[in-house]
Amino acid sequence: MSTIQCVVVTPERTELDVQAESVTVPLFDGEMGILKGHSPLVGRLGYGLLRIKSAGSSQNYFVEGGFVQVADNVVSVLTDNVVDASQLNSTAAAQAMHDALALPTDLPELKTTRDKAIDRARALSRITA
Amino acid sequence: MANIRELDKRRKSIRNIRKITRTMELIATARFKKAMDRASAANDYTQRITAIVRDLAAAGLEVSHPLLAERPEIKSSTILMLTSNRGLCGGYNGSVIRAAVQRRNELSDSSDSFRFEISGKRGIAAMKFRNVAIDQMYTNFEDQPAFGEVAKIADRLMEEFTTGRMDRLDVAYTRFVSVSKQITTVETLLPFSQPKPEDEPLAGGAAGAASGSTSGHVAKNDYEFLPSAESILEEVVPASFRVKLFKCFLDAAVSEQIARMVAMKSATENAGDIIKQLSTTFNRARQSKITQEIMEIIGGVEALEA
Repeated sequence: MSTIQCVVVTPERTELDVQAESVTVPLFDGEMGILKGHSPLVGRLGYGLLRIKSAGSSQNYFVEGGFVQVADNVVSVLTDNVVDASQLNSTAAAQAMHDALALPTDLPELKTTRDKAIDRARALSRITA
Repeated sequence: MANIRELDKRRKSIRNIRKITRTMELIATARFKKAMDRASAANDYTQRITAIVRDLAAAGLEVSHPLLAERPEIKSSTILMLTSNRGLCGGYNGSVIRAAVQRRNELSDSSDSFRFEISGKRGIAAMKFRNVAIDQMYTNFEDQPAFGEVAKIADRLMEEFTTGRMDRLDVAYTRFVSVSKQITTVETLLPFSQPKPEDEPLAGGAAGAASGSTSGHVAKNDYEFLPSAESILEEVVPASFRVKLFKCFLDAAVSEQIARMVAMKSATENAGDIIKQLSTTFNRARQSKITQEIMEIIGGVEALEA
């Protein structure tokens, strides 16, 4: 089976370096699947699930923004934070949404921060639902 | 005779000090290794983000971003100083403080308002002693700074810069070059200068692919940008600023442990030297005391015989 290398890095360390049959990344406007031989690409990520399929099993991770770069059959995912999706639950998502809505909105910059937090919470609740 | 006892007491106390400093050296070594591992683990991200920037530049994109804009007039500037929370690390804090104060004196002539932000109890204490106003203090960074916490500071600084409340940001820290070389530097982080592709070694995978000619590599990777190169650049610049600041914190943490290691090593060696000296003096004093006692006994015997 032809495989593609998937590397997930955060500013702190390299979280994952695996061979996969297919990688699905959450772009800012929707998901995109990547197979072997994909053309070179740089994309902006949103909040969502990163799915890595290999040998029939699939692993899911929640990524929080960043970039994806595809070149020479290597998928590099650069993100601020990555969490194993099985560790997430709906209570945490609800709490995140609650916290996000409680953020102040009186300044434009604060509003963008709040919008980001809400996006993140929405993605969380979508995953855990 | 009190002299001998005194000497012995001192020798004992120095032995205790030597034990302590040796332990501290070992702890610093262990922490240094951990900090070093973290710093090298963080390199991967930096390299990859640099690769993306290089590819963006290769795509013929004009690199422009609010964070990169040079301000014609510096009205308000900020210095962020990274010091340690604990002492006993030789000249580590002193040199950072000196460098920061020097930069501050240079800047205070040209800019109207001035802010000082300090990380580390040592720097805070030193600036309080000098009666310098401190605007922001952080004491939550130990030998393993977390990216989340650094990112918060970075986001706030970027926001201040883009809204025009701050025109320049300098960071005073100790840059880690190698185990035997750390340089105290004051670096201007905002306006941000884009990491040059040639500054950093290429990422592992890309280096292999680019081992031929660079132009061939660029031509081969004719990237598709989603949604657009501009939009990616908009995200890449803040991300690389955050990482850059994080790297400053990591470098400072590694350098601190090295400084402490070196300071404690020489303290242990000095304690050994002093113990040697004291032992010699102690033995001489003991010997002369014994000689004196023998002389007294002989003197007494002779007096009885006479």
